[in-house]
Amino acid sequence: MIESLNKAFCALPGVGSKTAQRFVYHLLERNRDGGMELAKALENAMEHVKHCSSCRTLSEKDICNICANEVRDSSQLCVVETPTDIHAIEQSGIYKGKYFVLSGYLSPIDGIGAAELGMDDLEKKLQDKNINEIILATNATVEGEVTAHYISNMAKQFDIQITRIAHGIPIGGELEYADINTIAHALSGRKNYD
Amino acid sequence: MNKVDLTPAFLIHRRAFKNNSLLLDFFTYEYGKIRLVGRGLRGSKTNIQMFQHLNISFSGKGELKTISNWEVDDIPRSLKGEGLILGMYANELISRLLFDQDQHIKLFKVYQQFISRISSLEGRFNHWSLRLFENNLLSELGYALDFANDINGNNINQDMNYEYQSQLGFAQSHTGKISGKLLNQLLIEDIDNIPNLEQLKVCRDLNRQRLGFLLGNKPLKSRSLFFTRG
Ligand SMILES: [Zn+2]
Repeated sequence: MIESLNKAFCALPGVGSKTAQRFVYHLLERNRDGGMELAKALENAMEHVKHCSSCRTLSEKDICNICANEVRDSSQLCVVETPTDIHAIEQSGIYKGKYFVLSGYLSPIDGIGAAELGMDDLEKKLQDKNINEIILATNATVEGEVTAHYISNMAKQFDIQITRIAHGIPIGGELEYADINTIAHALSGRKNYD
Repeated sequence: MNKVDLTPAFLIHRRAFKNNSLLLDFFTYEYGKIRLVGRGLRGSKTNIQMFQHLNISFSGKGELKTISNWEVDDIPRSLKGEGLILGMYANELISRLLFDQDQHIKLFKVYQQFISRISSLEGRFNHWSLRLFENNLLSELGYALDFANDINGNNINQDMNYEYQSQLGFAQSHTGKISGKLLNQLLIEDIDNIPNLEQLKVCRDLNRQRLGFLLGNKPLKSRSLFFTRG
């Protein structure tokens, strides 16, 4: 039993068997109540959390809270790679539109194409709903750029403004420590100073 | 080859590996295609990106070695649009067709030239550069064609037309679509001596046929990166 619990903890990112062992002994020796709670919460979540049928993020309901929120602006659609990206953007508090989660990026060598990322669903969304702007918020990696390029070509057939999130120098960051690609991006994407 | 210090390389693919590491495929100058582990690199702010010339260090005793250090040795590039997709296509060719750790020095140089083309130029320039890359790749795999002589041993005549006979070479033909001039351009491999649009397409089809022979019934996935209706 102890061994199988140890193995189970190793499913967590960044947890090796040593850390897992610490978790196991901590729960068994010091916090059985906490352990029971963890077990119940885990089982519950694993059984009941699925994907929002509208934006594909993780949700316990068929339609997630963001999609169901009528105060939010449905004319803006922000496309992200993962549900964690939604969380990050939500924490900034600046965005009031809706989302679409790809759950990855286009990677032909791995066999991940448009179908695997739900591009058909996204295209239908652009067709049906009165969306004015699609914001491409995929990562600032080559893979993220390839994915953004694909979506922008798809969105071009509709009368929609296509925007890409800006990439540049992090706030509080010093130019001296930024890599050349970031500096080049930041310079080419400069804005009028007002 | 237990320890290699700062050797020229391009990243051609990366994927998640175990908890927080990456599996990185490189095309290197000295060791050809090689797969390395990037320990703890997943999720970190990493500047290991495709389409930039890097110098990488790696070490390890077993089959799978670990990258220990890298530096970017290139000007900033931000590939966009079609150039980006052509680059992904070239990477998939390397990934599919080269054997691990076979050295391909000339092909590396042609790839490097191709990358600098697609990040600064468009259209015909990029396509010709890609055709030369494909051609070199085929040659290095042992499928070189004779662009100087036809299958009967006669010099290619720049004013004549030819047809391709699979795996053999070129035969003079009035109905052939391949111009003698194109074959000459493929022979001299001048990146700035670009065929016209029609002959570029002929060249694309020729290379597609030659590569198709090697790819078998598993077509390249990069073609799906182009969004097409229906
Ligand atoms: Zn939703």
